[in-house]
Amino acid sequence: MSGSQSSQETMYRKEPKIYPRHVKGRFARLRVVAVWMLLGLYYVIPWFKVGGHQAVLFDLPARKFHILGLTLWPQDFVYLSLLLIVAGLSLFFFTALAGRLWCGFACPQTVWTETFLMIERWVEGDRSKRMKLDKSPWNANKITRKFTKQLLWIVFAAWTGFTFVGFFTPIRQLGGDIVNLELGGWGTFWIIFYSFATYGNAGFLREQVCKYMCPYARFQSAMFDKDTLIISYDERRGEPRGGRRKSADPAELKLGSCIDCTLCVQVCPTGIDIRNGLQYECIACAACIDVCDQVMDKMEYSRGLISFTTEHALQGEETHVSRPRMWIYGALLLVIVSGIVWGMTQRVPLRADLIRDRNVLYRELPGGMIESVYMLKISNMDNKPHRYELIVLENDAVQFDYSRPLELQAEEVGDFSMRIRMPASAGSGTQNLQLLLQAVDDPSIQRLAKARMLLPVQTNRAGQ
Amino acid sequence: MNQPDQDNAPEIRGRWSMRQRDIGIAIWVAFLAACVGTFVIFGVMDPEALNDAWVLPWEMGRKLAYSLGFLFLFIVSLIASSLTIFMIRTGPGRGHTTGSGRRPLPEIKDPGEDNPDLDIGEWH
Repeated sequence: MSGSQSSQETMYRKEPKIYPRHVKGRFARLRVVAVWMLLGLYYVIPWFKVGGHQAVLFDLPARKFHILGLTLWPQDFVYLSLLLIVAGLSLFFFTALAGRLWCGFACPQTVWTETFLMIERWVEGDRSKRMKLDKSPWNANKITRKFTKQLLWIVFAAWTGFTFVGFFTPIRQLGGDIVNLELGGWGTFWIIFYSFATYGNAGFLREQVCKYMCPYARFQSAMFDKDTLIISYDERRGEPRGGRRKSADPAELKLGSCIDCTLCVQVCPTGIDIRNGLQYECIACAACIDVCDQVMDKMEYSRGLISFTTEHALQGEETHVSRPRMWIYGALLLVIVSGIVWGMTQRVPLRADLIRDRNVLYRELPGGMIESVYMLKISNMDNKPHRYELIVLENDAVQFDYSRPLELQAEEVGDFSMRIRMPASAGSGTQNLQLLLQAVDDPSIQRLAKARMLLPVQTNRAGQ
Repeated sequence: MNQPDQDNAPEIRGRWSMRQRDIGIAIWVAFLAACVGTFVIFGVMDPEALNDAWVLPWEMGRKLAYSLGFLFLFIVSLIASSLTIFMIRTGPGRGHTTGSGRRPLPEIKDPGEDNPDLDIGEWH
């Protein structure tokens, strides 16, 4: 990891390490707020309980997702897919509107890298101190600082991995297991795996994830148009660039507003020069805007040499927020979100399946009755216990009884074996049965269970 | 051997364009992966046995399950192989690791070097 940033090397060269300079300003503050909010939510949410369950718990062994008091069952798979589509569409919508807002302020890669950089800066100092430290020989100071940084990184990464697994296993129980050294093999494996991923991505790979691994970085430009917010250097105002004294008149020196301090390059977490135009490496973190505005203030020039702007605005034209793609993305989002909300309100927290025992076709009882054995599988998806009753629709001749009362605890699944009887004279061959399962205390909770029943074929009385 | 192009340089045309070849490779690799995947998965698992635990509201026979299983694996593999080709084609060019294909790094200097009024200490 050479600290050299010279440009003319053609021999084999490792990816040069980037030492982003710390920056303060409007956008840096915004990012710090985003980091605290997002990471705060991430680390805190699993410790809260809503409606008797962990606030967010993806309980894979039980095949149930608990999300803020809502319990999703495998049958609600469609909502999860719709939510994913909403997430994708939102990404399109916000990319078209404001460019790579996601990359610069909300992407976990940015958020965790920012945190790792904070730790690094706290232990090793800012850019120039870090570069000096990396070049210096191993002495007590370097060892202490490097060791402290690594220790803090590893502890933070481990806590991150633990929290991640805590979204899939009840976190309080997981914490207890670790304290009592009773953690199982898979739990241990996944905690270490995610800790390592955090450490590797945020501490080691950093901007290389965005440059080489992220597919979004490759195709986001397809969602851009001339009205999309991008980070842009005002070339017409800035060039020709060059150093000068504050008191000097740029016009006299035949210079633009850019004083060529290269601070915009030094603060860039991906190590690019924004003055070369928009590049796919730019994650729109706006660090260069913050630092350039400070330099402009210092030189008593007007701000905005580098700014969040649109191509239209740069060309002196009007920027249109309202344009066809915004309306299309927006309308699609609205439709799907309303669909999800409507679906959730209409959702009946009950599922019933009537499965015929395949081993026995039917049994003939004295008195001309035919009997078949069924398994009634009921899922009580509600958060309170219910007792259910079965009602036969459209066929008065059907009788049934079940082995035990149809009672289920909250979020319980039960199998009830039952017998259904029908007079042989009621029909011939396959009969379609429709049974309505309904909660005794709340008739709005009801489900139709369909089943087939075989009766002896009348022309051939022998049956099978 | 084909018609010469505008610069009169002899052009040897392949039957496939680069993009067509990429798409062909993606589909073929996905097909191979899906075959292996289908073979292994249904070698150890009987889809019929899953019927009672099935989340979807219909029962499916073995043939339908095998076909859907293959189709699913094929689509997933196709996403993976297409994305792989896309990432390679849109990424840094050949020679990148040796430096020749890499854009030169932006030059960095001490901000105060040519700008004596800029007090860099403020940003430390």
